[in-house]
Amino acid sequence: MGKQATEMLKGTLEGIVLALLADRAAYGYEITAWLRDQGFTDIAEGTVYALLVRIEQRRLVDVEKVPSAKGPPRKVYSINAQGREYLDEFWRTWSFLAERLEQLRKGEK
Amino acid sequence: MAARWIEKVTGSLEDKKRYRQYKARREQLPGSYRTAIEAVERYLMYAGAIATGEVLVQMLEDLVDLFEQSAADGTPVSAVVGEDPVEFAETFLANYSDGQWINKERARLVAAIERAETEAAAEASQEGRANGS
Repeated sequence: MGKQATEMLKGTLEGIVLALLADRAAYGYEITAWLRDQGFTDIAEGTVYALLVRIEQRRLVDVEKVPSAKGPPRKVYSINAQGREYLDEFWRTWSFLAERLEQLRKGEK
Repeated sequence: MAARWIEKVTGSLEDKKRYRQYKARREQLPGSYRTAIEAVERYLMYAGAIATGEVLVQMLEDLVDLFEQSAADGTPVSAVVGEDPVEFAETFLANYSDGQWINKERARLVAAIERAETEAAAEASQEGRANGS
């Protein structure tokens, strides 16, 4: 991924992670692994973690600590009602932006 | 450096206890993770200027959670902090801006601009009256 893609991704990563959590609960490592599978290979584990800390602070997700066979208990994140509202707003904003940019591109031709 | 710093900024014994627990957890990390967390911590102390003890210990606890988990998962340090460790540190730090000393100055700037806007409105209405007469 180039620098430009990384910059654009930064602004949308919150929405991407919430959309993923809307499907099912997950812990940090799973979320990073999923992003890598989707081609977001440049994302650092720590960056995803910082984002999870942020959405937890803003109460968009519920967090449950689950004991783990190896290492410390894992924090499992699941989206809550406030997070769903935020996600709806994210998709509305995304549609607006995508539509405007598409018009801009057509206008240039 | 961090130890003296924390004594200055934390008044509460609870914060001090949590800070000691953080240090103990940090010491338990495998070598490469310990080297990395110490470097990130140092950067956060310098760049963060976090003046609230509670926010500071919360940040350090969140940081050591990350490194403990990564060590347990076998995620290498390079994948934890990514290609640009400064970028990671800044993204991480942004979550704790509530505790930053600079907040006072941010509030002061916002208040000053509001005052300027009030003054501008008063000036405009005076001018309006002057023109009207």
